[in-house]
Amino acid sequence: MPKRAMKRPLAEQLEEVVQGMLVSLKPRPEAVPHRDLAPLLAVARELRFLPREEFRATLKSDLQRRASMSTNQGVESSAAVAAKAAHYMRPGFTSITPYIIVNGAAQFLEFLKNAFDGVERLRVPAPDGTLMHSEVAIGNGIIEAGDANAQIPPAPTDVHLYVDDADATFDRALVAGASPIYRPTDEHPSGDRWGAVKDPFGNRWYIATPLGWTPGPEGLRTIQPYLHLRAAHNMISFMEAAFGAEAMGVHKSPDGIVRHATMRIGNATLEIDEAHGEYQPKPCVLHVYVPDADAMYAQALRAGATSVEPPADKPYGDRSAGVRDQFGNTWYLNTYLGR
Amino acid sequence: MHWRQDSHCKRSRCAPIDRVTFFVLASYYSRAMKATGRPGKRKALPNRAALRKASAPGLAEERLLVEQAQAEPARFDALYELHFERVYAFIAGRVPDRATAEDLTSEVFYKALANLKSYEWRGVSFVAWLLRIAANAVIDRARRASREHPMLDDPPDPGVTPDMRTVEHRARLFQLVQRLPETQRRVVEERFVDQRSIREIAERLGKSEGAIKQLQLRALERLREQIGGGHA
Repeated sequence: MPKRAMKRPLAEQLEEVVQGMLVSLKPRPEAVPHRDLAPLLAVARELRFLPREEFRATLKSDLQRRASMSTNQGVESSAAVAAKAAHYMRPGFTSITPYIIVNGAAQFLEFLKNAFDGVERLRVPAPDGTLMHSEVAIGNGIIEAGDANAQIPPAPTDVHLYVDDADATFDRALVAGASPIYRPTDEHPSGDRWGAVKDPFGNRWYIATPLGWTPGPEGLRTIQPYLHLRAAHNMISFMEAAFGAEAMGVHKSPDGIVRHATMRIGNATLEIDEAHGEYQPKPCVLHVYVPDADAMYAQALRAGATSVEPPADKPYGDRSAGVRDQFGNTWYLNTYLGR
Repeated sequence: MHWRQDSHCKRSRCAPIDRVTFFVLASYYSRAMKATGRPGKRKALPNRAALRKASAPGLAEERLLVEQAQAEPARFDALYELHFERVYAFIAGRVPDRATAEDLTSEVFYKALANLKSYEWRGVSFVAWLLRIAANAVIDRARRASREHPMLDDPPDPGVTPDMRTVEHRARLFQLVQRLPETQRRVVEERFVDQRSIREIAERLGKSEGAIKQLQLRALERLREQIGGGHA
């Protein structure tokens, strides 16, 4: 094809515009645009959205893994899980309960009652007067607590508490002895009215009410442990593999840092984000009710957890197993044996 | 503040795309056309036809795939293979970056798998359900983003009539790229996905820059020829 002096080859014209498109700059207009240029550019514009092959393949194997887990242990929709919950969960408990180890558990119980209208369910003293175990119901969940000792170090925990009136609860917490981190504000990125306090035992409480909230019988989960983690994105895959957890809303920054994620196990959730500023990791103890403690224990070990305690029937009426994740958190996987 | 260090987060604004996107998707489901006088209204009928044609295999075969996956979740990947490009194509044009597109695409398929048993066949392609999940995910993400980055502009408008033909066209293009001759395909992926320069690609492939530009041209010409007329 005879070349005209003013017309650049199509390959050159095309590349010039593609380059401009990819770096979001306007290329200088072509003096004599080739007549095929425009239709080729139409294709190029769509190609900017071309998916990564590696992503496609990774997601596929991810889904295959989830599907096979679901075949093995019958992961169902939240509604179906909730319906079955009564059988393997101790009455009053949800799927995830934080087990907070402190110095001065008796005072901690008083704090929970005064600050959050907690109702004491159970207290088990040790011979030396410290508390071996206790349970306080708050809203539709439970906080478990015990005294630290030589064998069991303190495990303060950050907890996101959904309440009907964040301001009122915040003020009560201060009266009960907490110190303010920030007052409830509507400007919190969660979209809730959200404030934070620190109690005298090392725990943080994120006290929140959804904006426009009308209290009713179908409440939110009152208690959600909130874990600040290093390389938090690994917790998502770990919990999915170890417990069949469902990631319910993962918000990442453009470079993949988890800004916030909610993980569901059974009928409860916990939240995680990447540790930042003063919000640094606090390895904690979580008590999870599962349909089959033995199976979940094995699954967790396959997912990379280490054993803390193999499954055993406990005198208090649960079958219980303990594992530790790579972040240092301890998970007690329990099945209620009572009927 | 937890989710941003440099927090001066303003109250969220509801993205103006919400109502429009929901309306258009609702039209896929509703049997009665809503009389709104909008120019896009008429397109709902051909779009239902497009939805019926959307899947190759045909609808009957797709229904079988769905039932098999519902009985045996491990067989979900047949549906994934069938519709990955469509879901990604839908999302990619509506979010600001690739990481978000991948994030949301994953979310859509996780949700679909988790809730597969509650899906009821309605005589349209399974992709309609996937795109509904996708639309919700996009809106939810736009809301969150506008809370976290209040200084940015509104999320990019996905277009007043995000119809199935655009999604189909784009998805088909993605599939055609996979069928390009190996070297052409590689140039396209390195240029448009990895965003490498002509020079870098030339080095990696051991060719001249001119050769790479020719490969780019030939790839696009071939794609253009195969995809035929349609949207741009």
